[in-house]
Amino acid sequence: MSDARFPVEIVNGVPVVAAPEEVDITNADGLRMALLESAARGPGSFVVDLTRTQFCDTSGLHALVGARKRAQAEGGDLLLVTAGAAVPRIFAITGLDQVFASFTSLEEALAQIPAVAGGAPHSDISPGTSALPGISPDDAGA
Amino acid sequence: MTAQVDPVSTETRLRAIQSITDAALSRLDDRELLVELLDRTREALRADTAAALLLDFSSGQLIATAAAGLEEEVRQGVRIPVGRGFAGRIAAEHRPVILDQVDHTTVLNPILWAKGIQSMMGVPMVAGGRVTGVMHVGSLLPRKFTGHDVELLQLAADRAAAAVQSMAAKADRAAVEALQHSLVPSALPAVAGAEMAARYVPGSGVVGGDWYDVFTLPAGGLCVVMGDVAGSGLPAAVIMGRMRSALRAYALETADPAEVLGRLDRKMQHFEPDALATVLYAVFEPALDQVHICLAGHFPPVIALPGQPAHLAPIAKGLMIGVSPGVPRQVTTVPIPPGALLCFYTDGLVERPGELIDDGLERLRRAVVAQSPEAACAEVMGALVGNEPARDDIALLMMRRRPDRTDTTAVAVPPASEEVDTNV
Repeated sequence: MSDARFPVEIVNGVPVVAAPEEVDITNADGLRMALLESAARGPGSFVVDLTRTQFCDTSGLHALVGARKRAQAEGGDLLLVTAGAAVPRIFAITGLDQVFASFTSLEEALAQIPAVAGGAPHSDISPGTSALPGISPDDAGA
Repeated sequence: MTAQVDPVSTETRLRAIQSITDAALSRLDDRELLVELLDRTREALRADTAAALLLDFSSGQLIATAAAGLEEEVRQGVRIPVGRGFAGRIAAEHRPVILDQVDHTTVLNPILWAKGIQSMMGVPMVAGGRVTGVMHVGSLLPRKFTGHDVELLQLAADRAAAAVQSMAAKADRAAVEALQHSLVPSALPAVAGAEMAARYVPGSGVVGGDWYDVFTLPAGGLCVVMGDVAGSGLPAAVIMGRMRSALRAYALETADPAEVLGRLDRKMQHFEPDALATVLYAVFEPALDQVHICLAGHFPPVIALPGQPAHLAPIAKGLMIGVSPGVPRQVTTVPIPPGALLCFYTDGLVERPGELIDDGLERLRRAVVAQSPEAACAEVMGALVGNEPARDDIALLMMRRRPDRTDTTAVAVPPASEEVDTNV
């Protein structure tokens, strides 16, 4: 189900979505899917790694904003890792730099996410997580 | 006694399904195609009923759309929630389901068991990697559907899914274009002292949510709006229409651009919590000598003065619409000398994959020259778009303060009243 262009890796128990070089209307649904998958798997917070990303249009931002809202409604957060000039510039123009927690390395971002109690992140997924509205794959592209 | 299917004639009928759909794919506007396909499928499988339920993404329900031998399902507007009952399970699990027992414990829709259907088989309709519906057939005699039967039904379902998707895309595109056409001003308002010109070019393949609006205010003054709703197709166009109406309403209520965008943001977050948009909202003084601009995640305008290189107007940045409630918004006032040209645009004009946004902005800055708005539009489109099909929508609006006027009674609407307060 997950889009090969948006691999989701679990690092220290935290889902990390790696975004490709370009995120636009043609692949934003793939990002949305990967974000939904991460939200369903993780301890509440997760990371989107945009270090490779050179281009992100409004559809990409839409996917990120939606995922951040859902994560925050669940008591978690969506953290970003960015590098270079392109993505920070887009975030500055859209004002999103004021609301997203953004870091320059994955280590820094992961350090912000409190360790999962008991050290077994997967056993801590609340049973309600996967029943969140918007988690079903059928909603992903809507 | 149970119904038997002869595999040889099945192969023949399978080919019949393929040939009819191939020929029909070219005239997919015909809704009858789905019924025809179901009829052929029913015949090929020697089943008694066949039905297609299409997934309505907004409600998460499967809606009976076409049927053969089970027309009442469509006539009664049967709706099955994804995840429940026979069809709901197929859609949720993305896999075929065979039922040897049809009653209230296995099937949600009473029409099916009331009809006396004994055995059922259903498969997901998949197009573009996602489930778009469910197709099922039923037998009035007890019957063991085989793996071969499932394959055949899946083939028909895939054909139907492709056909339906193509029909929906066509209808969607026509609706969006009609909507887009009705939302973008067909003629810009005539305003004494100002000249305007605009371009709107839909993106290739998908119509997005770019729009612009220009209108005069009852107390004098002129409003310019540029916006870009995230997403594409009908959903984005519908949200665009709502935002445009809301902005027009708030524009009559308050003169403060920050207040207008604040109200819009609050309205959107309450009624369209999933929407995201960038908006530029500008109010020109009746004399057209100043403009008050508030940005919600949108690019600032480019300003060109006669005989001078253009520059990006230094406007305070603001958060996009639809992100976070109650964010403070700032208004920047920009003086407009006679002959100055303002260029408003959406991201499609300046964003190119593989390059920094600042490169696109710089290209635009160099292309904007204080001249007649029509000529300026042509020059900018020529320099930034050229002969390349636009990947994203492009909206462009040029506004020039007439070079030959310096008096302060410019806008041709009611005489200036004390209401033209710009406490921004």
